[in-house]
Amino acid sequence: MSTATQAMTLKEQLLEKFETELPSLFGEAALRRSAAQQFEATGFPTRKWEDYKYINPDAVLKKGFGTRIAAFRDITAEDVAELSPVKDAYVFVIINGHFVPDLSFSGELPDGLTVESIADAVVSDPAAKAHYAELADSAADPFIAINTALADSGLFMHIAQDSVIERPVHFLHIATNEVSAFLQPRHLVVAETNAQAILIETFESIGPVRSFTNVLAEVVVADNAKLDHYRLQTENEAGHLLSTVQAHVSANALYNTYTFTTGGAFVRNNLNVEIAGEHAEAHLYGLYLPSGNSVVDNHTLVDHQVPNCMSNELYKGVMYDHSQAVFNGKIYVQRDAQKTNAFQNNKNILLSDDASINTKPQLEIYADDVKCSHGTSTGRMDEEALFYLRTRGIGEDNARKLLVNAFAEEVVNAVPHEELRNYIDTLIARRMGTV
Amino acid sequence: MAAEQNPILEEHIASDYKYGFVSDIDTEFAPLGLNEDIVRFISDKKNEPEWMLEYRLKAYRYWLTLEEPKHWAHLDYPKIDFQAISYYAAPKKKATVGSLDEVDPELLKTFEKLGISLEEQKRLVGVESKIAVDAVIDSVSVKTTFKEVLAEKGIIFCSFSEAVQDHPELVRQYMGSVVPYTDNYYAALNSAVFSDGSFCYIPKGVRCPMELSTYFRINSAGTGQFERTLIIADEGAYVSYLEGCTAPQRDENQLHAAVVEIIAQRDGEVKYSTVQNWYPGDKEGKGGIYNFVTKRGICIGANSKISWTQVETGSAITWKYPSVILKGDNSVGEFYSVAVTNNMQQADTGTKMIHLGRNTRSTIISKGISAGFSNNSYRGLVRIAKGAKNARNFSQCDSLLMGDKCGAHTFPYIEINDKTGIVEHEATTSKIGEDQIFYCNQRGIDTEKAIGLIVNGYCREVLNQLPMEFAVEAQKLLSVSLEGSVG
Amino acid sequence: MISINNLHASVEGKEILRGLNLEVKPGEVHAIMGPNGSGKSTLASVLAGREDYEVTQGTVSFNGKDLLDLSPEDRAREGLFLAFQYPVEIPGVSNINFLKTAINAIREYKGEGPMEAKDFLALVKEKQKLVELDGKLAGRSVNEGFSGGEKKRNEIFQMAMLEPKLAILDETDSGLDIDALRIVANGVNKLRSPERSFIVVTHYQRLLDYIVPDVVHVLWNGRIVKSGPKELALELEEKGYDWIKAEANTVEA
Repeated sequence: MSTATQAMTLKEQLLEKFETELPSLFGEAALRRSAAQQFEATGFPTRKWEDYKYINPDAVLKKGFGTRIAAFRDITAEDVAELSPVKDAYVFVIINGHFVPDLSFSGELPDGLTVESIADAVVSDPAAKAHYAELADSAADPFIAINTALADSGLFMHIAQDSVIERPVHFLHIATNEVSAFLQPRHLVVAETNAQAILIETFESIGPVRSFTNVLAEVVVADNAKLDHYRLQTENEAGHLLSTVQAHVSANALYNTYTFTTGGAFVRNNLNVEIAGEHAEAHLYGLYLPSGNSVVDNHTLVDHQVPNCMSNELYKGVMYDHSQAVFNGKIYVQRDAQKTNAFQNNKNILLSDDASINTKPQLEIYADDVKCSHGTSTGRMDEEALFYLRTRGIGEDNARKLLVNAFAEEVVNAVPHEELRNYIDTLIARRMGTV
Repeated sequence: MAAEQNPILEEHIASDYKYGFVSDIDTEFAPLGLNEDIVRFISDKKNEPEWMLEYRLKAYRYWLTLEEPKHWAHLDYPKIDFQAISYYAAPKKKATVGSLDEVDPELLKTFEKLGISLEEQKRLVGVESKIAVDAVIDSVSVKTTFKEVLAEKGIIFCSFSEAVQDHPELVRQYMGSVVPYTDNYYAALNSAVFSDGSFCYIPKGVRCPMELSTYFRINSAGTGQFERTLIIADEGAYVSYLEGCTAPQRDENQLHAAVVEIIAQRDGEVKYSTVQNWYPGDKEGKGGIYNFVTKRGICIGANSKISWTQVETGSAITWKYPSVILKGDNSVGEFYSVAVTNNMQQADTGTKMIHLGRNTRSTIISKGISAGFSNNSYRGLVRIAKGAKNARNFSQCDSLLMGDKCGAHTFPYIEINDKTGIVEHEATTSKIGEDQIFYCNQRGIDTEKAIGLIVNGYCREVLNQLPMEFAVEAQKLLSVSLEGSVG
Repeated sequence: MISINNLHASVEGKEILRGLNLEVKPGEVHAIMGPNGSGKSTLASVLAGREDYEVTQGTVSFNGKDLLDLSPEDRAREGLFLAFQYPVEIPGVSNINFLKTAINAIREYKGEGPMEAKDFLALVKEKQKLVELDGKLAGRSVNEGFSGGEKKRNEIFQMAMLEPKLAILDETDSGLDIDALRIVANGVNKLRSPERSFIVVTHYQRLLDYIVPDVVHVLWNGRIVKSGPKELALELEEKGYDWIKAEANTVEA
């Protein structure tokens, strides 16, 4: 690379890339242009932004991420098999932000299920055309803006009306670039009326080269549909991840999200759920176990727009070493959303003198006939329980692990898919060094 | 169920602020606007020493570099024109008053109307417990009672201006040590133009024998009130301090930007109670006080304690976070708050508990009640610094909504940097129970009274913290503020 | 089995045990009685190795080993079991997982391999009967949502599973109705053997109707002030503790 590029900031590089590549990018140019302008106006968020108060993406991005994509190593079918948490899933592979059909499921998908390249779908599929960039607002966050401006690959998943898809769909993300890079996959998931499906997104990084993945998924859950949405984030110390999910849940629909973070140098999750139809329901579960110097920040927003809906949120964290965790959950109840039941709970354990947690559970409520509550507690390990275990002959180290496991179990047990639940248990055990 | 359909509500909202009168007191003003000359003018009026003027000027110059804060609080109001305010207004009689005879009778009447007695004898012979009062009207303190009685114990209780003259060493030692002028926009502004306020020093080992109180009254139009209060409890000292405030009913908004600093030395304890009832504006949101206040205490010595209790019913806009820095080991911080907003009022209030010392404990109990078209936010910070071993915090923030046009919000910030810290935060939002109201109705209690009853019960935990005389007043105030808010 | 000599222990600087002596031989059941605040539960906690308790003087020898030198888990592995007065709830840890972990930790300490799952489950089934514990409870989290009686039965069940050499029952009778008391006592009696000793700490004589002790000790003011045969318990039930206190005071004076 020329020294000129070296000296350019990531923002400048991205905007330059935008100008050169715009003609070749899929979808509406006007949408991309306005998103790029949004991004240009604000740049990446800094610590001064209320929503990024405790972490500093700008500083993280100054570690030097470029825009050139070149695989660090070839990913094989064996790698893919090994990285699949569930045996019978339809696996779709995204390497360095780009959908790789050759490594992905190539058999026949069941009736009612479509998974294809987003670039193709936005041109050819009416549902993709209708919903693309419908939910993600570029003005809301610079990461949404720059993804909208520059996204050039990703997946479109569509579940047709009345279709019930039993086997999970797996989006396998692998970051393994040769040079340090900023990657931007983009997905759209539409579950039509009465449809049901399971989506598992996993995030891996391979190799010593730094990557920053700015992934964005828009999720539409139509009337009476049901979607279970998992994110398993297990990148290595070179992996940086910002994962935005923008979901819209219609009447009588059920949207469940499960976010497990056991790896990565930097993980920021923006999970925004609009509860937009009566009797809709959303459950948000999260578990984060950061260690080393890693930073994990979970931002959730549940926006109750209509009456008679329910949301429930449980996030738990265990912080090791020098790690730093943030939880910021907001329940927003709009004026018309009477009879809302919304609950939120965040619990944390600090296991090291050098770890920290910043938690900010928020209620913003404009309707009076509601039941809303949040709670958060942070504490150390329960010494009484530890002593009890030790009097039964269990060594101190094991007793601690047992208690951490028990703490995490409340979230893991919420996972209905058994094979996946076992896999998550293994992730946790691996994280704690018990395997 | 909508508020405007309720005739009782109409009636009450139209006439419920009973402190809205204006007194005709001969008053001297500073010219409108703010510049260095005004700062010098205020300092000169008070015959201040050079160091005080220097402090004001430094603060003023710093203030000039700042921008009016807006973005973070959950408040919405027009930009304030700081050049349209008079920064000094004083009753024309001499500021130093020896006996009551020298006080303008109109002024005495004003305080009588407010239910504040400046006559010591009446209180002394009465059965009521004794309260020493510092009465501040607009920019100056007009009278401090019981000074001599207190002096016998070595307690200093006087106006801030007097303290600058008579106890410069204490003022210089402590002023700005808890809230430096660089702290925030309004603290900088206050440090530049503060006109008066109360000063209180309790010497080592002394338990102050009576409640100390300051009564703040904004009377003049077009002025701001910028008072400053400094309370020091030396080692092993104790004081309970009360603050009350009212203002006339006016169509324009008036600015109140106070600074309160509290220092508790080893084993010292300060209990600070506020009943804030500044004019809240009318039901359309016209007029009312903008209340931007910085209150902070530091538990500097081991085993010290600072406790804030506030009942906030007034002001068009409230922006206020009475805080405690828990520096001494085993020190204790408490915050008990009831904030009521009705009509178009907006409140963004809460606390900060900064745990630095070992075994420090803090408790936060906040009860927010929103009615009408108002917005009521709790915003609080609990920070456990690294090395603050075995720190504990418990927070309970409850919101009650009355009617479907108001908002109730909770924004806690919890930052924990030590693994031995234990922090628990709970918050709930609910509406007033219709079954409870019905039950009261069925026993012959009308809805108005039932709401008063229920709300007072809801706030019991906080009201119990207030000294007796204040608690009774606060209960009445709560009922009045909310009358008719549920149909 | 255990030999306690001149044991002094304090909590937060306050001395609770003040020179306690006790000798328990294999197969013996010793009851320790005494009024509230005499130091009964402190003794149980000190022997189990609770950290808040500081031993300032004295020795405790357990089967020839210096007990005070061992960590709580090693004491358990050496065969010391404490049935807690207030069994701890551990949400999220199933009883089964908890016991399996404990048993295997003890086996490992003894140089044995982990127990086969099949054998373990058979053992659970067998021992549950001992305290009439519902099989369902085994699948639930440790003590979570258990009634008072279930918690105490669970303690005895754990004791049966871990097969200790010395079991200390700390006020196991407190909060039990007569049926639960009978079940718990039966469980204990079935576990009595020539190799296993018990220290039964209790405030009331009631439990000793069911678990008949070889020796009864009265603890007062941090010391054993009187020892006698099982009839001593009945005498205490009848006459209360005041006469003991008076006696002890006379001796001290």
